[in-house]
Formats: sequence, structure tokens, C-alpha cells
Amino acid sequence: MIYIIDHNDSFTHNVVHQFSLYDKVECDNYNRINTSNLNKASVIIFSPGPGNPKNYPSTSKIYKKFKGKKKMIGICLGFQQILFCEGAKIIEQKKIYHGFQSNIQVTNNKSLFQKGKKFRVGRYHSLKLKEPFKIKNFDITMRCLESKVAMAFENDKDKIYGFQFHPESFLTNNGNLLIKKILSA
Amino acid sequence: MNKQNQLESIHNSGKPYIIYKSRKGFDLFTNFSKKIILNNKNINSFLSRRYKSKSKNTDLFIGFFGYELLNNLINIKIPKQKNINFPKGIFYKPEKKINLSNNFKYKSQNSLKNDDFKININKDSYTKIFNKFKRKIKSGETYQIKICTKYKKKSRINALDFFCRLSKSNLAPEAFMVKDNDYSIISCSPENLITKEGSLITTKPIAGTVKKDRGMNKSKALNYFRKNIKETKEHNMIVDMERNDLSRICEVGSVKLSRTKIVEEYKDLFHYVSLIRGKLKKKIKNIDIIKAMMPGGSVIGCPKINTLKLLNKQEKENRNIYTGSFGYIKFNGNMRFNIIIRSILNFKNFSEISVASGVVVDSNAQHEFNENYIKAKALIDLFK
Repeated sequence: MIYIIDHNDSFTHNVVHQFSLYDKVECDNYNRINTSNLNKASVIIFSPGPGNPKNYPSTSKIYKKFKGKKKMIGICLGFQQILFCEGAKIIEQKKIYHGFQSNIQVTNNKSLFQKGKKFRVGRYHSLKLKEPFKIKNFDITMRCLESKVAMAFENDKDKIYGFQFHPESFLTNNGNLLIKKILSA
Repeated sequence: MNKQNQLESIHNSGKPYIIYKSRKGFDLFTNFSKKIILNNKNINSFLSRRYKSKSKNTDLFIGFFGYELLNNLINIKIPKQKNINFPKGIFYKPEKKINLSNNFKYKSQNSLKNDDFKININKDSYTKIFNKFKRKIKSGETYQIKICTKYKKKSRINALDFFCRLSKSNLAPEAFMVKDNDYSIISCSPENLITKEGSLITTKPIAGTVKKDRGMNKSKALNYFRKNIKETKEHNMIVDMERNDLSRICEVGSVKLSRTKIVEEYKDLFHYVSLIRGKLKKKIKNIDIIKAMMPGGSVIGCPKINTLKLLNKQEKENRNIYTGSFGYIKFNGNMRFNIIIRSILNFKNFSEISVASGVVVDSNAQHEFNENYIKAKALIDLFK
């Protein structure tokens, strides 16, 4: 079972439908966590949402508790939340991407995806990862072709993955394939 | 009695009636046997009650949900605001339905005394609110937010006369009017929020409007929208948000875009529209649908919950009907609801018109302030 933690977003149920294509999904709001579902889940998803990772300390606690024990995937805010828990700084960016379609590219040969491969994706983020960023076992694997902003990370050892863009958006081509590959990793 | 005379005689009799745009013309509902005034307490029982369908074309409740009621339904509290104590929602059970053509006529004898509309937020305060919200977008607390301004003036209007003239200048697919003893509403809403037939549900968000100036045609309008990054981004956001709201109540894999970013032509303008559909999950009730879809996202901003909270903290005056929903619930469970925009509420000898336009990261205060005025102007002009 996949457990999705919703950060009051208006895109979370698109995420629910996307993951439901591959497994049973349960979804609860971040301040109404069902502990039994959380413990039962084989995968935990951190949803997109408004604001900054530091606004969601309860989600950070869950991440730290299950790191290395369960597969975890972060999307948009969820991506930032995981990196924030690992000590990264999340900062405002000059150009803001809300409802924006961008071309991104796999830039790292440690990725599950083929290096050099391009994707067209939908973005909804005000904040971004501050770089340089160096944390053990975490690799930035995709970047925006234009701005070079980090768009995905992978930690294959602990099975932790994150996308700054929205694989569930109608603006993302082949979003389902991305999710399928991460889930079977 | 022909239909034209019937309309005039109903209007002149002073009994309450409702007119709602239908596919071919307009439907008029009257002879109300029940009137339910909704509040935060009785709305749940109103929406959960089941009625036996007698397969009459009046087996339905028709009316509206105000903005505050819809917020309360999804547990968002509105702080104390300036309030004219207009009902939070009203539904009627009609016993009579009459079909009207698109060209119904009515001419009022009374002339209007015209003082000016007063706006509740001047340009300076608008700019301040605008900049504050822009900072909230930069910090990621909202991605898009609609600032509402309200125009108000003392007046007594003849609702049917207004609605007749409005429909002539702008035949909107979700137009309606309500005439009751102590209030009236006229609206040329273009936006359908919910059409539910059996287990099929659709929503048709509008984000993007361009005026039909000389030389502007449908294909040029499409080109304009595609090239305009701000309009495109706003529209994209609304499409993903409406997909999300439908996904809460629809079967996995059933939420699909039927029409993506098409242009629809109206008398004076072009709209940028998408159509999204889904198949409802088996256990979903009408109250679940209303909670998932309302208030309609395209007139609020995104993400819905946080943006509603930001708006409610900012707004000093109750929105009343504005950005609520008007429509009907049939006894067989089918529903049709619009989003209440482009409307005039007349209550206690006051007329109010609310409008809103969007703050996204690259919009500008002056432009959006004027945009609000342009939206209100079509309605304000009716008073001349």
C-alpha cells in the first residue's frame, strides 16, 4: 500500500490517481495522519503543497523516522521537504514557475533514467534547492534545460526519490512512466 | 395566453420566479411550494435529504449557495466581516416550468435615478493588497489569488428589465435571474462548475478572456491566448486544480480532459476554456460533490484551501452570492451548477456588483485594477 501525505494542496488528488494505477493508495492530510496506515505502507509519498518545508515539522518527523526503512517519494514541496530534512537550504528563486511547461534533462549517469534523456514537464514552484548541495547518497539527476535548477534527486541506497516538477500534471508528458519506474526501483 | 404575456403577467403579479439559461432558450420556474433558507446548520440535511421523483419537470430544487456557506461546508471559517445580512443560501421547489425563447422581451416603464457606484477598495489600497499577495506568491503560500472588489450604490431596479437587456447584450450559457419579494439577482455567468448526469460529471473552467475588438476572430483569439504566457499559466493551473477536485470524487483513471484550451465565442468576447470529465465513484453523494468542487477554483486561486484562508483574512466585506453557485438539484440526483460571477445583487434598496481578477507572479496591479473595472462596467452600464 502507498500512503500519501497531503499538504493541503489542490494537486494532491491528481497524485493519488496517478499512484492508484500501480497499487492501493491511502491519503490523509498531514495533520490527520493515520498511524496504522503509515506503518502498514510500503511507500510514503510527500505531496506538493503551499509554503515552505519548515512549515511542516510533523512531515519532517515522519521522514526521519522512516528513512532507510520504507521507500519515500517527494513531489514539489515533498521534494524540498526531503532535502530540507537532509540539511539543504530551500530558497526563493528569481523567476517563478507556476503552471509552466519546461524541458528538463537527465544529467547524471547514476539515475534510473538514461543520461541525456529529455522530458517535458509541468512546474508549480516558488522555491528551489540552494546549490551547491552535497549530501551522501543523494544525487541530483535531472535539471531544467534553461535555468539548470534541480528537478529530481535519487538516493538509490535508501530508496528515496524526489521530483521538483509535477509528474501528475497534464503538462507532463509520460508522467506515468516516471512513476512506474521509481515504484519498481 | 402566449409565453410573452405569461412572462409579463408572472412578473407583474409580484410572485417570485427564477429564469435560468437552457440549451435552446431559457427556463422559467415559478409557483414555489417550498422555500428553504440555508444556514450552516441545515445545509447538510438539505443536501442529504432524498425526494421521490414523480418524473415531473419540476422535480427539483433551484437556488443558490453563497460564498460563506460554501466555505463553512469545507471547514473554512470566515472572520467577522461587514455584512448586509443577506441569506447565506436559498432554494425553491417550483411547481410550474415555462420554456422561453432566447428573444423574450420586456420593457420597464420606470426611469432610473442614477447616482454613481462606489468602489470598496480604491486603487491605492488595491495596490497594497496586490503587492502583499505577490509576496505570498514569491514565498510559495499561494500560486494564484483573485482580489475581489465590490461596486455598490443605492437603487431600486426592475430585475426583469435588467435581465432582458443583459441577455440581449450578452447571451451567457449560465445566465440566470432570481426575483423574490425582498431581493433579486441578475447574472450573465458564463461558467459551468458542475454538470452531473447519472454517474458522469463535467466541469468547464474558464481562465482567460479577450475582448472582441475589431479584427479579432476566433483563430486570432486562440493565437493570443497561446502566446500570452500569463493567461496560459493561469489556465494550466486551473485545469490541474479542477482535475484534482474531480479526482477526489471520481474513479481512478476516469478523469480526462475532453477539450483542452479551446476558444469559445460570445457576443463581446472570447473565453479560453477547457472541459474536464470524470466518472463518479459509486459511494459518492451530492454533498461530497459539492464539497469537492465548491467554491469553484477558477474564481478563487490555487491551491484552494490556503488561498481561501488568505482571501478571507484580507476581505473586510461579506461576498454574499459572489463566487457562490447557482443551479439545481433534481430529485433523480442530477445537478447543474454555475459559478456566480458577473452578477448584480439587489437587496434592501442597494445594488452590488463584485468582480475579481488574478494575481499571478507576473501580473501588474494597475492592469488588474482596470481589468476589474472592465468586468464591472458591462453591468454598471445597465443602470444608464
